Amino acid sequence: MAAIRSIAESARERAAGSNSNLNANASASANANANANAISIRDCSLTFGSVRVLNQVSIDIRDGEFLSILGPSGCGKSTLLRLILGLLSPDQGGGIVHHVPREEIGIVFQKPVLMPWHTAIQNIELPLSIGPQRAKQSKAERREKAEWSLELVGLTDFRHHFPQQLSGGMQQRIAIARALAANPSVLLMDEPFGALDEFTREKLNIELLRLWDNPGTGLNTVVMVTHSIQESVLMSDRIVMMSPRPAGVNDIVNVPLSHPREAEMQESPEFLGTVREIRKSVKAL
Amino acid sequence: MNTKYKDVLYPVSFAVGLILIWEAVVRIFSIPLYLLPAPSDIARVVDGELLRNMGVTLYEAVLGFLLANVLGFLTAILFVHSRPAEKGLFPLAIALKTTPVVALAPLLVIWLGTGYWSKVAASMIICFFPILVNSVKGLKAVEHEAWELFSAYKGTKAEIFWKLRLPTSLPYVLSALKISSSLAIVGAIVGEFVGSNKGLGYLVLLSSYHLDTPVMFSAIIAAAVAGLILFGIIASVERKIIFWQKVDEA
Repeated sequence: MAAIRSIAESARERAAGSNSNLNANASASANANANANAISIRDCSLTFGSVRVLNQVSIDIRDGEFLSILGPSGCGKSTLLRLILGLLSPDQGGGIVHHVPREEIGIVFQKPVLMPWHTAIQNIELPLSIGPQRAKQSKAERREKAEWSLELVGLTDFRHHFPQQLSGGMQQRIAIARALAANPSVLLMDEPFGALDEFTREKLNIELLRLWDNPGTGLNTVVMVTHSIQESVLMSDRIVMMSPRPAGVNDIVNVPLSHPREAEMQESPEFLGTVREIRKSVKAL
Repeated sequence: MNTKYKDVLYPVSFAVGLILIWEAVVRIFSIPLYLLPAPSDIARVVDGELLRNMGVTLYEAVLGFLLANVLGFLTAILFVHSRPAEKGLFPLAIALKTTPVVALAPLLVIWLGTGYWSKVAASMIICFFPILVNSVKGLKAVEHEAWELFSAYKGTKAEIFWKLRLPTSLPYVLSALKISSSLAIVGAIVGEFVGSNKGLGYLVLLSSYHLDTPVMFSAIIAAAVAGLILFGIIASVERKIIFWQKVDEA
């Protein structure tokens, strides 16, 4: 009985501690060098016509961390990713500092965005065969890289299948493989599992964490946009909470869970405590 | 296998049945030949002359079809890359579409003579609009995220066109080709009505002067068959090229 109480207390303590943002990232982060930043978002605002979508957002994305950007649908989280990708430019005064080369940034969208006329393996080769990447590798090297990537997501048996022959979960895994094939050190994900059912989603959550842990992938930093509190707590080291319209950074929460993460951790007091804490501050918005 | 067999059996047996009823009705009621010839009377006038005229019409129609579709697709590419061109020229294209080709045909004969070209031009005019509208729609049908994907990996304009826009537009293009495959025959025959000495349109007109209804029927049926041949070719090409999309309409 006493033991149980002490666990519960420590969870509360941790929850309280991380709320003030002072709690040092308790768990062993994948990267020891927590000070270096991969990408810095500096004072970025974005206005479409007369609508302000982002309001003075500043976030330092640390090298080696799994960062979630959490917020309600339509609050501008995805817009933030597009700023980082350079698909949109911030208003005057804002800036994005890339500490890693731009071509090391990969992207996974909410929809798989696979070309229906290409097979799985051809879809994975796509980013390797366009733009500056095209000249870097021969056709055979590209195929080899795509095969490697396909193996990472466990779909080698489906290399010659067309997207419409694959389930939604498989399609999204192909999309992840496509991003990994280009060897990104930073992976941006825009609600990557938002369209999937609960079972597939949890499976892919853990799979993604394994890929991130796997030193062979070269994947260092992940920035994931999500509207699921549970998902963000299970996956990330830090959670950036966005306030709705115009989106700004409301709070940054450290997740006191150790690595490697397991699906069972969702029952742990630390997990539940963090979820509760986030819920509370969401309500306060 | 069984359904495929039925797919052929049902239409064929219904067609054969209708022909038999037609033949019987004409014989029983002794309908005069100039009013409604029996199928056997029509079959009797099918000869090399008919096939030669059908060849002429097909040649004009196919040439007009090909030229119009190449031109229409290139115009569509221009439209999606240049807003001024689209804004300025689309109304003209619509004006061309709303002008009946029947009204233009005499003018085409004055300009291009009574040879092939006036018919090819009539066929082109009628085929041009479907391909233009569908290609513009198809080339613009690219998913926003797909465009972002190509941009994120710094795909060039040419790569975005060849690897994204063009394949995305193909289902739209092929459905336009199916529409215009039968229209092409209409254009050629309208051209032949106005001024020609060969082709199915000429044959229909000539047989109407002579009240030679069996020949007229044979020419009409040949025109329908020519349209079916073109349509069938396009439909089978479509099934090969657009393998990723189930074709839902016939």
